[in-house]
Amino acid sequence: MTDVTIEQLGRAPLHMLELWGDPKAAAKRIAKALGHDLPKVGKAQGNVLRLSPTTWLVEGEAAAIEAALGDGGALTPTGGGYERVRLSGPAWRSLLMEGSLFDAESAQFAIDCVATTPIDHVAVTLRVESENACLAYVPASHAADLQHFWRLSAGGLPQS
Amino acid sequence: MKLIPCPHCGNRAQAEFVYERTADSVVPLDAAPEVAVAALFTRANLRGVEEEIWRHTYGCGSWMLIRRDRVSHAIEWVKPIGPKVLP
Amino acid sequence: MTGQINFTFDGRALTAKPGQTLAAALLDNGIKLVGRSFKYHRPRGILSAGIEEPNALVTVGSGGRTEPNTRATDLFVYEGLVATSQNRWPSLSSDLGSALQLVSRALPAGFYYKTFFGPPKLWLFYEKFIRRAAGLGPAPAEIDPDRYAQRAAFCDVLVVGSGPAGLIAARDAVRAGKKVFLVEQDAELAPSLLRDPQEIDGKQGRAWAGEIATEVRTSGGRVLTRTSASGLWDDQFVCLSEKLVEPGQVPVNGFTQRYWHVRAGEVVLATGAIERPLTFANNDRPGVMLSQSVRTYVNRFGVVPGKRVVVATTNDDGYLTAKALRQAGAEVIAVLDSRPAPVGGDSEFAVFNAAAPVTAKGGKNGVTGLVADVDGTTQTFACDLIAMSGGFTPVVHLHMQAGGKLDWDEAAQAFVPGASRWNVRTVGLAAQPAPAETVGATGAAKQAFVDFQNDVTVADLDLAWREGYRSVEHLKRYTTLGMATDQGKTGNMAALDRIARREGMTVPEAGLTTFRPPYTPVSMGALAGMGTGEHAQPTRRPALYDLHAAKDPIWLNAGYWKRPRAYPIGAETLAQAGLREARAVRSSVGMCDVSTLAKFEVQGPDAVQFLERVCQTTVGKLAVGRGRYTFMAREDGLVFDDGTVWRLEENRYLLTSSTGGASRMATWLSYVRNHLCADLKVSVVCVQEHYAAMAVAGPQSSAVMAALTGEEAPRHMSVVEAKIAGAPVLVMAASFSGERAFEVHFDASHAEAVWRAIEAEGCCPYGLEAMELLRIEKGHMVVGTDIDGRLTAGELGLGKMVSKAGTWIGAATLQRPDFADPLRKQFVGLVALDGGSIPEGSMLVRFIGGEAEGHVTGSGLRVLEGGSIAIGHLKGGQARHGEDLYAWSPTRKQKAKVRVTSPHFYDPAGERYRD
Repeated sequence: MTDVTIEQLGRAPLHMLELWGDPKAAAKRIAKALGHDLPKVGKAQGNVLRLSPTTWLVEGEAAAIEAALGDGGALTPTGGGYERVRLSGPAWRSLLMEGSLFDAESAQFAIDCVATTPIDHVAVTLRVESENACLAYVPASHAADLQHFWRLSAGGLPQS
Repeated sequence: MKLIPCPHCGNRAQAEFVYERTADSVVPLDAAPEVAVAALFTRANLRGVEEEIWRHTYGCGSWMLIRRDRVSHAIEWVKPIGPKVLP
Repeated sequence: MTGQINFTFDGRALTAKPGQTLAAALLDNGIKLVGRSFKYHRPRGILSAGIEEPNALVTVGSGGRTEPNTRATDLFVYEGLVATSQNRWPSLSSDLGSALQLVSRALPAGFYYKTFFGPPKLWLFYEKFIRRAAGLGPAPAEIDPDRYAQRAAFCDVLVVGSGPAGLIAARDAVRAGKKVFLVEQDAELAPSLLRDPQEIDGKQGRAWAGEIATEVRTSGGRVLTRTSASGLWDDQFVCLSEKLVEPGQVPVNGFTQRYWHVRAGEVVLATGAIERPLTFANNDRPGVMLSQSVRTYVNRFGVVPGKRVVVATTNDDGYLTAKALRQAGAEVIAVLDSRPAPVGGDSEFAVFNAAAPVTAKGGKNGVTGLVADVDGTTQTFACDLIAMSGGFTPVVHLHMQAGGKLDWDEAAQAFVPGASRWNVRTVGLAAQPAPAETVGATGAAKQAFVDFQNDVTVADLDLAWREGYRSVEHLKRYTTLGMATDQGKTGNMAALDRIARREGMTVPEAGLTTFRPPYTPVSMGALAGMGTGEHAQPTRRPALYDLHAAKDPIWLNAGYWKRPRAYPIGAETLAQAGLREARAVRSSVGMCDVSTLAKFEVQGPDAVQFLERVCQTTVGKLAVGRGRYTFMAREDGLVFDDGTVWRLEENRYLLTSSTGGASRMATWLSYVRNHLCADLKVSVVCVQEHYAAMAVAGPQSSAVMAALTGEEAPRHMSVVEAKIAGAPVLVMAASFSGERAFEVHFDASHAEAVWRAIEAEGCCPYGLEAMELLRIEKGHMVVGTDIDGRLTAGELGLGKMVSKAGTWIGAATLQRPDFADPLRKQFVGLVALDGGSIPEGSMLVRFIGGEAEGHVTGSGLRVLEGGSIAIGHLKGGQARHGEDLYAWSPTRKQKAKVRVTSPHFYDPAGERYRD
């Protein structure tokens, strides 16, 4: 009996969006196509996560972005390389403190926040989906190891 | 385990970063041979403050210049390196 | 009897009261002898009641749970505890090793630097006895069955220590709205209030502490007991070592300890002070104890360790012990106070001023008396317990670990924390210890112990000083003072005092050794966390892992990747399977998983400009749908990786490079793109794991590709998009094996479908072993061995492919004069002349015993005809074809006569696959 559920969601179509040059014009076109701005640093909106200064991760349909992109950047398929894992339940934040250096228990790590940080030595991208759940994008080659680590760690969480 | 302020991610633990090189070791593109060789093989290596290039490798992957005291480890400032960035 | 806990010590069945440490329980059962000292095997008892204990080291637990060198004072008795004493044979009371005391004059500090010089062969003989005669407990031989958790935590204020000062600091921080962590190494909060009961805010110690703990917890903070702050690092990063159960105890949920990585806004050190022993002859006898510790046994654990007591003190605290003992029914024979004037004395005791102990009498059964100097005259007291207090040493370890400075407190004769580099402050007795005098050593120097755990006497310190080891760091290494489990917590100050007196300087002038984590011993398991056994390093599985596993291959751990080395059939050895698979590729068709290759998608109008910085070859000449072999130089002009580059669309390229260099290449590309070429309109994305990839190689490979895709296979060095089993794939015609071959790249989500389709065409699966044989015969290089970052393109035989435009990074530095040396190493082939194999990694020499002129980077076979060949690096090798040399490995006692040739043994013109 643990207070956290670890769900393997498998792979999904993902694209890395990278803007080059002066990104403002392309960003404007994409915002129009999406119906919202491209997410800021450390944030996600809809199906788009901000990963780094110049890159975003797009889950699912990327055609609208591709059309709006023009010559302001590029989309690269990357979905084969990630397994997605959903952590949910009252102790999902506590589980993310195991083998980690990141403050997943902070109130500032709230809904639609995104962070890439090492967990058990693997760089994992986290997105807070709701009060109760967080989605992790795990490099596929490390997924089996991390699953094993999370499963064992879930049995040894401290009382809150 | 220092706390390093990544310009993109904010304060993160040192283990997420990789120290890459000193700023004075950078070989500029298309530099003349003497300039290139000097940058490669000579180093100020000061017992004091220097500018260093670090990468937030296990976080956002972005590059930054850090001005740091190599004796006390105190960081004076951190500046991002790279293309123009959307906020 | 209710409330009693059953345990054993050296096989003897005993009981303990709840809450007692093992040391308390042993004393309660009248057991005084608990160990034998490290070197001399002197009988030892319990000195203290805390983590500073140097004598009472025991082994607890069984099998993989065995923990040696556990301090009996730092273990709380649990039902079924099995504890044994250490470093004695056959028993604690009749220990053969105690005979060493008779020859102790020949075994001073550092004796092993001056003895056992020869003959060298006998050292291994001596070593066996030395190991058995000296030391601490034996390490367990079985795997630890329990788990150790490691987690991060963040707080505003971390308070280390739950004495009154720490509890008040924690409470104040909570009330100021801070998130507070309070940690205590003992099992109970406020242990000093259990030792010296008093009321605070109208409450007894336990209740008062409990209320503050509740306040911390309900405000969202944490209170951890049995948790030691082990190390303090930059920016208030603190490691905590938490015992979830006692050493040797079976944990409830599989976890025995938790290691915390805490980042605090501020650290408050309320770590208290450790009492100092007095230095006199036989001060190490069972029954000589620290005075405050005696009080802990009496008041907290309900144990009176002696009936007739002498208290020897340099400060006021000793009198509290005298009072506590009398209240508990012991007879206080005398209080020896080193201070001349009668200060703090109590007329209810027989106090002797200007008095110091000189020699304790008694042996393994405990002290029987004490010879003292009372203001110049000798007096003897009969007693069975000596409670000594030489002052108090503030615990400054954490403050010092993170670059703190020390000040000197003259009244306490102690170092106290000064300035800190970080947001760290010290409160309570650690900052303001009680005033105390210091007394120099008395009695015979050879029996006056300074460091009990390492058997270092005053005579040893004097010897080291005479031999020139005078700096405190030298003294430590020469005498081993301050090492092992207690790290000098009870001994360092007395040693410093002795050095200072010898050198005619003050103690602060003599200095201190460096403080390093851990503060107290930490289990290796806590540091390893979950990273043990199979998980000691990460394992990376390629997308096709399960399909390989179903064939039960011989695996290779290549970096962190698990890759099949060969797929043996029946009783095949690795060599047999590898050769069979390679022959299948040469004669029909094979399939190999090359998914682990580094891959990068480079897009944008400036893609070529970027690639021609990174690659030493041209890239811009490629038409859409074409590709080429390429290689990459470092800033110093030397080749560090190789691969291929394919033009998929007008402004879209795929770059591949070696598996082993993948993260290095990713970092390099990112550096070039972001720092050197920030203005370029280019996107560079690592797609190593997005694409799985299969090599389909052999004379029948074209037919196989046509059958799979329904279309003609692309011609050599072309790339097409196609579908296999409904999945979109990229088919690149390129050969690593030397046969006509295709690399099929596809989204790893479709891995299984594509694999099965290829396998269904009758391709023979081949692994890395076969791949090595094929590529070595072809003379294709591999990064790590042939391309090792030390040769230029020309020296690797790639000179003709280097772009003359010179836009590539490293072009400028290749002009240095060193590269003109004709004796630089060059890539060559080698053919065996004497029928045997050519040892990989062996040196290339003109004659056996000669100087190495190169080495063998890869050893192989002519796949179809047989016969050993190899490739390697050789000084001036390109001009030495036809020369005969030896490939020689003296460490493996292998050699082969070889002839230098071109490295391209098989189909050098590439007729097998060129169109």
